[in-house]
This record gives sequence, C-alpha cells and structure tokens, in this order.
Amino acid sequence: MNPLIVDAGFVALPIALVVGGYVMVASFLGAWQRTPVLVLSARYGMITLPILLMISTLALVYAFVNHDFSVRYVAENSSLALPSIYTWVALYAGNAGSLLFIATVYSILAVIASTGLARKLPYTAPYATSVLAMVLTFFIGVIVFLANPLEQLPLAPLDGQGINPLLIHFGMFIHPPIQMMGLISVAIPFSIAMGALLAGRGGRDEWVDQGRLWGMISWLILTVGLLLGAWWAYTILGWGGYWAWDPVENSALMPWLAMTAFVHSIMVQKRRGMFRMWNIILVAVAFTLAEMGMFINRGGPVPSVHSFAQSTMGWLFLGFMAFTLLAALAAFMWRIDTLKSREKLDSMLSRESAFLTQNVLFLAVAFITLWGTIYPVFSEAASDVVITVGQPFFDRVNGPILLVLVFLMGVGPLLPWRRANMQNVLSALRVPLIGATIVTIGLIVVGVRQPIPLVAIAVCVIAVFGIGHEWLRGSRSRHRKGESYPVAFGKLLGANRPRYGGYIVHLGISMLAIGAIGSSFYDTQRDFNMALGGSASIGGYDFTYLDVGSRTFSDRVETTARFDVSRGGKRIEIMDARRTFYVNSGVSATHPAIRSTLIEDFYIVPSEFTETGAAVFRVYVNPMVWWMWAAGPLFILGTLLALSPRRRPAPVTLPLPKGVQLARA
Amino acid sequence: MFLWVIQRLCRPHSLYGTLIAPMASTFMNINRRFPAILFSVVLIAIACTSVETIPTAEIAAQEINKTVMCPICPGESIDQSQHPLAVDMRGIVNEKLEQGWTGGQIRDFFVERYGPSVLLEPPREGLNWLVWIVPPVGVAVGGIALYLVLRMTVRSNTRRRESPVDEIELTANERDHYFERIEAALAFDTGDSRQLEVTDHSEGQGEPVDR
Repeated sequence: MNPLIVDAGFVALPIALVVGGYVMVASFLGAWQRTPVLVLSARYGMITLPILLMISTLALVYAFVNHDFSVRYVAENSSLALPSIYTWVALYAGNAGSLLFIATVYSILAVIASTGLARKLPYTAPYATSVLAMVLTFFIGVIVFLANPLEQLPLAPLDGQGINPLLIHFGMFIHPPIQMMGLISVAIPFSIAMGALLAGRGGRDEWVDQGRLWGMISWLILTVGLLLGAWWAYTILGWGGYWAWDPVENSALMPWLAMTAFVHSIMVQKRRGMFRMWNIILVAVAFTLAEMGMFINRGGPVPSVHSFAQSTMGWLFLGFMAFTLLAALAAFMWRIDTLKSREKLDSMLSRESAFLTQNVLFLAVAFITLWGTIYPVFSEAASDVVITVGQPFFDRVNGPILLVLVFLMGVGPLLPWRRANMQNVLSALRVPLIGATIVTIGLIVVGVRQPIPLVAIAVCVIAVFGIGHEWLRGSRSRHRKGESYPVAFGKLLGANRPRYGGYIVHLGISMLAIGAIGSSFYDTQRDFNMALGGSASIGGYDFTYLDVGSRTFSDRVETTARFDVSRGGKRIEIMDARRTFYVNSGVSATHPAIRSTLIEDFYIVPSEFTETGAAVFRVYVNPMVWWMWAAGPLFILGTLLALSPRRRPAPVTLPLPKGVQLARA
Repeated sequence: MFLWVIQRLCRPHSLYGTLIAPMASTFMNINRRFPAILFSVVLIAIACTSVETIPTAEIAAQEINKTVMCPICPGESIDQSQHPLAVDMRGIVNEKLEQGWTGGQIRDFFVERYGPSVLLEPPREGLNWLVWIVPPVGVAVGGIALYLVLRMTVRSNTRRRESPVDEIELTANERDHYFERIEAALAFDTGDSRQLEVTDHSEGQGEPVDR
C-alpha cells in the first residue's frame, strides 16, 4: 500500500477546482472579448480536468481495493468482509464517492462534447464550454469543501463499517453508474443550448444537430439506467415489482420525461425551424429536473428506499438548481429576440402539432410526478401532518396520460408534416385500427374483460401495426424494384435513420407498455405458509418445498430454500430462493427465485424462516415481464441507428491560385 | 412448427389464439402476414397467462395491503415488504377482515397507531384535496394553452396562405400514379430532407456574431 497514491488523489482535487474555475471564466471572457488565446487556453484546461479527476478516482479505487481504512470514506463504506470484486465499485456506494464519480464521468463527457462543438460550432463552443465548466466546478467545489472522499483519518481503524447489503448485487456494477451518468449528462444538451443562446445564435438552427445528438445520448443513458434500476429492484428487493413511484425513482424519471419531449421537439426545429424558444425551455426544464433529482437523492426531504447517499448537502443542490434556472431564464429573456420561428404552423392537425401535444403531455406527467413527490413536504410545512403520496396516486393520475402518449406514439408518425386532414389520417390509420379491433375481439373471446387493459393493449397494437405497416409498405416497394425482402428492409432502415431508429425505439416502448399492462393487471400473488416437504400450486405451477440450508460467511448468513417446480405435471427445474442476513448491519436481503419465460415469470420470495424451516413464501405469477427487459436492447439499437452518421459526399476541393496563403489559427 | 411450439408452451385456451391467427392473416390479406404474426404472438401470450382463481378474501386483503406503507421501510407497502413488521401487519389485516371490518376501518386503525403517513394514498380530506385537484387542473390548463397557441399561430397563417391548391381534382389514374411515386420516394428516401426543403436556415458558421 503506497500512501503517496492517496495523497496524489487528494491533491489533484483542489487543482481541478482551480482549473475548472479558470476554464469557466476564461472561456466566457475569451468569447466575449474576442480573445482567441483565452478560448484556446480554456479548451486545453478543459482537457486536463478529466485527467485530474481520474487521478483522484483511481486513488480512491486503490484505497478501496487495498482496504486502506485510514481514508475515512473507505472505512465508512467497506469492510474486510466485502467480497473483493465489490471493492472496485464501492466508491459510489456513499455520498462523497458518488459525487467524485459523477464529476469524473461528467468531465469526460464534457470534454468529448466540447471538442466536437469547437469543430462544428466555433461561435457557440466557448460559451457552451463555460457552462459545462461551471456545472463541473460546482461539483468539484462541493467535493473539495464539503464531501472529500479522500480525507484521511488520524488513526486508521482495523476494519471498516461495511456497505449497505442491498448494494451487494451484480446490479451494483451497472445501474448506479449509468443512472448517475444519465442524470449529469442532461447538463450537456443544456450547456449547448445555453451556449447558443449566449452567443446570440439560439435562433439559428445550427446548434440543433449537436443538441439533438447529446440530447439523445443523454436520453439513452437515462433510459438504460431506469430500466436497469427496475430490473435490479425486481430481482433483489423481492416484492415482485419493478417500479414503485418511489421519490428517487421519480427523480430519475422526471428528467427522462423532459428529455423525451426534447428529443422529439428538436426534430421540429431541425426540419421546420420552429419551436426555437420551446426547445430552449424544454432543455432547461430537463436540466432543472435532473438537478432536482440529485437534490432528492442527496438527503432531500422525502424518505425513500434509495437513501444510500444521505447527507445534509441536498439544500446546496437546491440552491445550485435555483441559480442555473434563474440564469437560464435571464439568458433566455436577454436573447428572446433571436428566437423567432422561421415558419408558422399550417394546420391544427399535423405532425408538428402532434409533437407539441406530446411535449405538453410529457411535461404534464413530469410535473404531476414532481407534485406528488414533493407534496408531503408542503403538507408538513402547512399543517404539520406527515402524509405519504405513493403508488396508488401516481398509477391513477399518470396512468391515463401515459396511455394517451402511447396512442400518440401510434398516430403521430403517420401524420404528415405541415398539414393533414381527417381523411388521410383515417386512411393511414386503417390497418392499425383493423388490427387493434381484431386483437381486442380476440382478447375478449379469450377472456380478457377488464376495460382498462383492453383499451391499453389496443392502443399499443395501433402503435405496433402502424410501424409494421409502414415498414412493410416500404420494403414491398423496394422489393418490386428487385431487392429481396431482407435486403429491402435493411436498406429501408438505412435510408432514413432518424425516422426508422425512432420506430425501433417506439417498438421497444410498446413492448414496455405491454409488459407493464400485463404484469400490473394480470399478476397473481399468494402467501403460502409452508413446512418442509409441503406442496402448493398457483397459476398452473406446482411446487414442493424440498429443503432448506444455511451457509455462514464472514459477514452474512445465507438461508436457501429449494423448490421442485413443475407445470402441468411436467417437471421444470429446481429453484433456489434465498434470504441473506448481514450480521454487522442487522439487515436482511432477499434473493427471490425467478423463472422467466416469454409469457410469464414464476417468482418465489421467502420471508423469515422459523427454526423448523417452515416459512411464509410469497409467490407471484407475473405475466409479460420479460418483454420489458427485452425492450432495453431495442432502445439502444434504435437510438444508435437514429444517431449513426450518414456518409456525406466528399467536399469538392479546388486548388488555390498560386501565391495565396492560408491564415492559420 | 410454430404452432406446435406454442401449443407446448400454453394451456388449452391458447388454441383460440392459434385458430384466430391464421383466420386473421387471411382476413388481413396474405401480404400483411407480419402484423398478423405479431398480433397472434401478443394474443397467445396473453391467452397463456394464468387466470388464477384466488379467494376473494385474499384479494381484498391484498388490495388493502397495497395502500398501507410499512412504517419502518420507507417507500414500501406492507404488501411488498418482507420485513417482519410488514408480515405482522398483513396478519392484522387478515384478522380484522375475518372479523368483518371494512377496508376503511382497517386503514383508520393503522392511522391511529402510526399516523396518517402510513397510508400510501393521502386521505381525501381538507388540504389533501390539493394533491388530487392540482394534476387534472394542470392538465386542463396545459391543454387549453396548447389549443390557444395552436389556434393563434394557425389562424394568423391560413389567412395569408389561402390558395386553391387543395381543390385540384385528380382522376383516379392520376392519383394512383401519384401514390406510386410517393411509395417509391418513401422507399428510396435519402433521409436528408433538407435537400427538398427551403434552405434559408443553412447559414454557415463562417460569419461573426452580430450583437
């Protein structure tokens, strides 16, 4: 163990703070005073930031891996008993380390973004870099002054306090980093928009390509983070569900909703030069909601299952949020005359108006979610009564709006730009409507009688059929020109990547919706009090409680119950449901047994075991859950397709007349 | 083969699905096989899901459990949590239901013990009505604002652009030809729609900022 490494990490932080502050000021002043040297030095300064932060992060990882408990944060968030593979990721288990992780990841993204900007948008880039650096400097400042993960204790304890046992799961490697990266990445499209605004070029649509690129990257990271969080909750929290409208879940969902609105409405600006003010507002709202998320996550006032990074600094984030919001508002008012639309709407019924409606609904869901999440704080302040706003409220209020959004997702892409009339809308909807009608009749025949799932599934079917029908039409007309169907389909997708990439994402959303509908309206659950050797059955599954065994580890006791599961008389497999008791923290974690098929999941959760091995087992049959996880790859695929660059024709070069020399920057 | 797999997978009533799928594909014209298959997958999948009969008393208990929060595991209902306290509270719900209590009475009982924060859905009384009223009012206001904005921009626009273009009558032959060209264009869309549109937004980065 080399103490110099930790020291180097400790020293790198204040240097990064100074450099960050310099980049923020120099980049802005350089652009303002038209001093290229300053702009250039700020750009180089920006590049050193991820290097400095990386030194600190690696030093922290080094301290964790080597169990260097003289570092206070390491002593508080790990112990000798922690499985060694988890020491590599324990750095983001607590508040200070997760801040450092966020700052590091963000600095890397910011350098990539600002390098691209410097090439593509030379006038906007310095201002955008300044905003990027401002956000980063705030984070580094908080780390240096209030939550330094590399702070050392005068006396190193022999063992650390250990980690929250819920975090010891494979999901720890992927969900927290991606979720944090998603939240902070919203700052990048925000900075690009602010940069364009400050440069007085917000109304020129040149920032749109970069804004859309980073908006979609951010959207994708947020989406994957949310989906992985849902999956993690499903596989370890052991309540058979994946989404509970928990305050921290909400805080990650809200920026996702606003980003979803943004990546759609930015297309209108790209294609039609409209919604220029609206896009700036949307991206500012998205960033504000992302900051709100970090506030709630870091010792916000609302209790949650996610209280991992608790601290008192939440209010500081609230202050920073208020500052960025007001600054964005001021910049917006200052530059409002540059943001006039190039064109106007031609018709109430058009793709533009569908996008706008979609935007309003997404923001509505975001604000209702915000309202429900923070209402308990208001209530407590106003009447001293502590209340809870939970799942039933959100399901009831947001559910119908989300359904309307899925419907719009089916109809919107079928509408033409500029102007549609009822006749061509109806003719475009003919096939999807026929499909939806058949499916609905089929479902009624099969025995699905509840009106809400019937409507919901019909709406999803409209969306899926609309996409399928258009793909089929396009492939067919290419096929007539002599391409085989697979080739025709592939080339069709390649021909208009933003559109067909979007369709793939829409298919993923439909799968997600069908999974959510199936599992929330047709789940079956029962508690079984079973003694060893007992059998029971639910939903066509028969299961026998074979035996139970305990294994003792240095930090935990694992009790595993084995079940012999069969279905329709045919044996399927032996399933293990586990309950782990962590001795140091006195906390229990469950590890349900899950058997997942395309159609339904069979899911067993153990509760406390008695001396004789008897226990209450909660058993679920959750339909269609697999489809939700399968939507993840489609989101990635669709977004990448939509973002993939097209090969541009090589620029025509003309030889310069002799004697002419190019000025070099 | 496909049908065989599905029959192995599912219970008898999925037969409906396998019967309806071919019917649908004939009805929808053989060319539309793709949506028909998709549709039958959805249909069969749902047909195969369990239609389990659970005693109504248990369902009633679950309904109540889902609205009561576990007091020491914030964010989780007593239905979700496997914490011993939540298990005990589930037991109390069952017991009280057997004694003939209503859901409201049971919830009140928990509120008396743990305070109103134990309910996942705030009671609809007094100030709490705000929670319920604000969302629909907000959506309504947003909807009206959207409508007004759309109407304002569209109306000021159409006055300027009244043109007889919409009224041109096409013969059936002309229309077919037109749609054929659209389909071809759709299939070979270059994707760079800006080539087709007005290009007055293509000012480059070359000139300095005008302030």
